[in-house]
Amino acid sequence: MLTIIRTELVKIASRPRSYIGFIAITIIVSIIHLAMYKDGESYIGFITQGFDQSFLMEGKIMNGNLVCFIILQTLILQIPLLVALVTGDLVSGEAASGTIRFLLTRPVSRTGILFSKFIAGGIYTFILLIWLGILALGIGLLLFGEGDLIVLKSDEIIILQQDDVLWRFMSALAAAFLALVLVATFSMLLSCFSDNSIGPIITTMAVIILFTIIGTMDIPLFDKIKPFLFTTHMIIWKSFFDNPLPVSQIIESIVIMILHIVVFILIAWYHFRRKDILS
Amino acid sequence: MRTMLIYIICILGLNPVCVLSQDAEKILDDVIKNYAKVTDYQADIHIVTDIPFIRVLPMNAKIYFKQPDKVRLVSKGIAILPRQGFDQMYKTVGDRKNYTVVPQGSDTISGVDASVISILPLSDTMEVILGKFWIDTTRKVILKSQMTTRTNGTIIASYSYGKFAEYGLPEKMTFLVDVKKFKIPKAVAVDLNNYNKKDEQAGKEGRKGKIEISLKNYIINKGIPNKIFSDK
Repeated sequence: MLTIIRTELVKIASRPRSYIGFIAITIIVSIIHLAMYKDGESYIGFITQGFDQSFLMEGKIMNGNLVCFIILQTLILQIPLLVALVTGDLVSGEAASGTIRFLLTRPVSRTGILFSKFIAGGIYTFILLIWLGILALGIGLLLFGEGDLIVLKSDEIIILQQDDVLWRFMSALAAAFLALVLVATFSMLLSCFSDNSIGPIITTMAVIILFTIIGTMDIPLFDKIKPFLFTTHMIIWKSFFDNPLPVSQIIESIVIMILHIVVFILIAWYHFRRKDILS
Repeated sequence: MRTMLIYIICILGLNPVCVLSQDAEKILDDVIKNYAKVTDYQADIHIVTDIPFIRVLPMNAKIYFKQPDKVRLVSKGIAILPRQGFDQMYKTVGDRKNYTVVPQGSDTISGVDASVISILPLSDTMEVILGKFWIDTTRKVILKSQMTTRTNGTIIASYSYGKFAEYGLPEKMTFLVDVKKFKIPKAVAVDLNNYNKKDEQAGKEGRKGKIEISLKNYIINKGIPNKIFSDK
């Protein structure tokens, strides 16, 4: 099993598209760092204008923690797409290139192959997230220093003390990892049903964009749908920056995401075991 | 004859008001003189904030003040203060060029007899459009203030004093501030999962923001270098 996982990782590493995510994250994070370094104060002014006339905010508002939080917020839509770019191709790419027949004739079960692809996709996602963490938080703290974190929400602001922030970032990254694994399994599920590389990737992106748009719009009809969209639960990482922590909401979303992952894997596994590779 | 009668009535009628107004001005002057004894001070402060739409834990900080208007708050983290603060109030009270003083009788604040004095702007462009002060004439300190401003709504503040009442410096201040509805675009906040929070938010609208500031360890008139105020 370890050998197959290693083989799958080598396959991922050998594809140029696997590096698009790293390059995109590096460029986006660098641009945001530069913009915040040059013009962060006016961004803060825009955020605080709602209560600026009545209250004074004293202290180091622009700091590495805030910049990291802004980056995570900004990239929440892009990272799943970058993950899908690689994981959506894991099975269908083999079918498209014709290597799936060769792969499935090896003395390894189809289940083993599928799960090794799933684990390799998870490892890729993990490395991508770690890279994001290093750039956003590590470089952010080096450039802007430490400070209390202002958490921006559409209808309120939460100020967290700097000693209370690091564990929240770590927990948020763990929750984000779970969310990205969900995207990876969803795209792999679609990948099992497809014989071309682009279809599952585009479909995954379309579903995420559609669900995100529904989640963003304040329409009563959509409010009833939102709890059933997996994208709603994918941004549960933000709840780690709530005070007090909405534990039940976090647990609920984590359970829902795990259920989605299990269901997607089971459907993929069921289909992959019966997949016709001769046609 | 009738004109003369009206004139006499006016003189007799308005004179007590003039006298009362002069008394009120003297009361305010005494308060300002009391505070003017402070050339500078520093103190440890503890800020407890209860503002709808802002969630923040209590904060410790150090405040520095130097006449006439240098103020610096040094805190480890982010602190929230009312924009119309303590020193701002003294500035308004002492501004006789732009405000006229109107006596409003007396009242009792926490068992202490207080003279009530209002100030009204002479120009229609002033930020404070009505100020009302409850003043302890014995200790020459302001016990309560109510400032109605052009842009920030009404700010009600109450002050309690300890051993530094002789300088007009309080031990505790409580500010009640009008809070406008806070809203930033969802796309900016990427706030997509608050589908179940609407009822929670509804109760917050129309509430006042409350900030309690406790001050201790005052160091008064010992000199504060200007560097502290520029070193931000």
